[in-house]
Amino acid sequence: MNTLLKKLYAWVDERVQLEDLVQFLGKKYVPIHRHSIWYYFGGVSLFLFIIQVVTGILLLLYYKSGEALAFESIQFIMSKVQFGWLIRSIHSWTANLFILTAMIHMFSVYFEKSYRKPREITWLTGMLMFFLALGFGFSGYLLPWNELAFFATKVGTDIAGVVPIIGKPLMVFLRGGQEVTGATLSRFFGFHVAVLPGIFTVLLGVHLILIQRQGMSEPLTDEGGAGQPQKTMPFFPNFLLRDLLLWLIVLNLLAILAVFFPWELGKKADAFASAPAGIKPEWYFLFMFQTLKYIPGKLWAFDGEVFGILLFSVGGILWTLVPFWDRRSQRGERSRLMTYIGIFVIFYIIVLTILGWTA
Amino acid sequence: MSRAIAIYLALAMLSTLALADDQCLTCHETIGDNPSSLFKHDIHFKKGISCADCHGGNPHLEDMDKAMDKKAGFKGVPKGDDISRTCANCHSNPETMKKYGSSLPTDQLQNLLASVHGRLSTTGKEHIVQCITCHGAHGIVSVKDARSPVYPLNVVKTCTKCHANATFMRTYNPSLPVDQLDKYRTSVHGMRNAKGDFKVAECSSCHGSHDILSAKDVRSKVYPVNLPSTCATCHSNTEYMKGYNIPTDQFDKYSKSVHGVALLQKGDLGAPACNSCHGNHGAVPPGVESISEVCGTCHSMNADLFSSSPHKKAFDDRKLPECETCHSNHDIVAATSQMLGVSPEAVCSRCHTGQQNPKGYIIAKQMRQLADSLDSAEKAAGSLIEEAEQKGMEVSEARFKLRDVRQARLQSRTMVHSFNEQKYRETVDKGLEVAAIVQAEGEAAIKEYTFRRLGLGIASIVITILVISLYLFIKRLERRQRTGI
Repeated sequence: MNTLLKKLYAWVDERVQLEDLVQFLGKKYVPIHRHSIWYYFGGVSLFLFIIQVVTGILLLLYYKSGEALAFESIQFIMSKVQFGWLIRSIHSWTANLFILTAMIHMFSVYFEKSYRKPREITWLTGMLMFFLALGFGFSGYLLPWNELAFFATKVGTDIAGVVPIIGKPLMVFLRGGQEVTGATLSRFFGFHVAVLPGIFTVLLGVHLILIQRQGMSEPLTDEGGAGQPQKTMPFFPNFLLRDLLLWLIVLNLLAILAVFFPWELGKKADAFASAPAGIKPEWYFLFMFQTLKYIPGKLWAFDGEVFGILLFSVGGILWTLVPFWDRRSQRGERSRLMTYIGIFVIFYIIVLTILGWTA
Repeated sequence: MSRAIAIYLALAMLSTLALADDQCLTCHETIGDNPSSLFKHDIHFKKGISCADCHGGNPHLEDMDKAMDKKAGFKGVPKGDDISRTCANCHSNPETMKKYGSSLPTDQLQNLLASVHGRLSTTGKEHIVQCITCHGAHGIVSVKDARSPVYPLNVVKTCTKCHANATFMRTYNPSLPVDQLDKYRTSVHGMRNAKGDFKVAECSSCHGSHDILSAKDVRSKVYPVNLPSTCATCHSNTEYMKGYNIPTDQFDKYSKSVHGVALLQKGDLGAPACNSCHGNHGAVPPGVESISEVCGTCHSMNADLFSSSPHKKAFDDRKLPECETCHSNHDIVAATSQMLGVSPEAVCSRCHTGQQNPKGYIIAKQMRQLADSLDSAEKAAGSLIEEAEQKGMEVSEARFKLRDVRQARLQSRTMVHSFNEQKYRETVDKGLEVAAIVQAEGEAAIKEYTFRRLGLGIASIVITILVISLYLFIKRLERRQRTGI
């Protein structure tokens, strides 16, 4: 068996110079320090994304887009297709866990100040992927064409419509018309399975290549400061095997969630029905939604909602561009202010999400 | 108190003195015209209100030209909406009304304008109804006065001046019937009213007076949901109904009945109100011979099946009211399977006993068994589906099929009225067939639920073994790396 494998390896190596890659991986080391645990969240996010792609493709075999068929096709997947319930539940749970782990990954990178030179592009691609992940969540939520998704999309696109100048055309573009209809479903389906995955794959490729080229970032406190030798572990196979171990645990967790808490389908969307009480967006949009509820209708010369949206837009842009304005970290100095900002943002998100959830 | 009486008497004397000086009345009486002779009996005349209070001018001048000069404030005969406005000058002013010792409400015009009569007339220049349309102009008397056109015994005639005039009504509401008076005269209310009983319901008792709204308006006293309470205003008042020798518990019974709950609690406008069975303008209690026809207006299948069943002749021979015998009248409750069969609570057993009518007794017994089997099959299938749903299984299709079982049960309830065991069995069998399918799907879903948990258990064991193995492998690998072996 070993001989056969060796022969196969030699066959491939002869054609694609596999040895170079093995050499490269063999020389790659991952720093070991008290914050090393956070390195794994990037890998978990990648694993969850792979699950999304696989389960998404499987769902595509049976899912039918369109007002008349979407809900029924999901119903069919859930009740008639062998393991359809499992695939759909895993897809839905993974979507949420993916955003959660991506968020944890983003904050860990932020607190480690790993976005500093030379990793600005890695941070930027990561942030863009995070926004795309939110887009995946928003577009995928509508696809079952159920009551909650229908009205949440209506509210979500309404909010987008409030943005000055571009809001209205943006809302019409998202909805494929003035209202949320079958046309919205068709284009959300298009975004979800073609446009977003296409862009995401390119960004993910760049992100991974950059990580391989630049290696793992080390925290500021440990980076050469004390002149002590760094503790490391080989990326291959040590780190990769640990990654694999964690992935297996996550896979088991997903299976447990899918079996014990199967993702509900709810009622079919009815454009003429009144909106169910207490309509809320997905948890990852909840803090913004709740903030908009607290902002008064009129704030100085601004419309309250417009002010809130502009505030989040500016906040998002500043957050994305943090490598370019956090001068202290760029100089390799510790920046307490940035840490406090990060703690405030996390605290704000958690508190507002809880308030939104319990409202 | 005595001071108030003194002021009132002084005012009355002053007004009499003033009227004695009313040149309008003096002159018009001399001419001998109708308005002035009517005005002598008018309540306003008695309260000291002069012609000039409505028509303007100076009633103290003998010279007609000067008295009826516009400079003296003469308005002449008010036209269109000015008529009601003239009345409202006093009648909408609580201070003025108080001055004349009146306790009348002061929102009549406001109510009239908000009512169905407050719409613009076909000319578009005035409202359909002015105060004088119903109350008259110069001979206005109190509503309690038998000469008043709105006195309970006269109001029917007053309303039907317009409402029985097809040509007039067509211009406003062509679909509104104009035979209310004819129907009313055939009703118990109408016949008693014609005989001088002013306590019985007339138009305003149910429709209101100034505030009349379309029967389709949810605020109307005769809107289906409000109608039972409107009827109950009199019919549930034991004091008021004394002497009529009819029960006063109809509303209480009705509001607890299946019809009352549907209409009053669930707002189901398809459910019958009092008028659905008794008629509205021609309200009478349905006779024994017509009860099935009345109920059959809605329950047509039941009525048809009953009419062609052997029970029809039996009931007719014994002069039994058809539906009412088994279902009662105002307090009809939802029919259950317990009504069928030969058990003591079953209505069949009131006539059918094993000794007297063995054939009917056996059929009733068999039909009850069938009803029970469908009831329990539906319940069993339903609880299985519920259990599967609670376990998070997708069983919406089975849940949908369960409706067919319910439908079959409802159909069987209707088919009971054929009192034909064979026909009844066929309907029940349809329901049992679907119930069996639903039950099978429910069981399959619960089995699938167990399978999923078992599968998860096995998968978790495999993954745990893999995790432990991988962990040990990593540890061994790192130990080797450290020791360099």
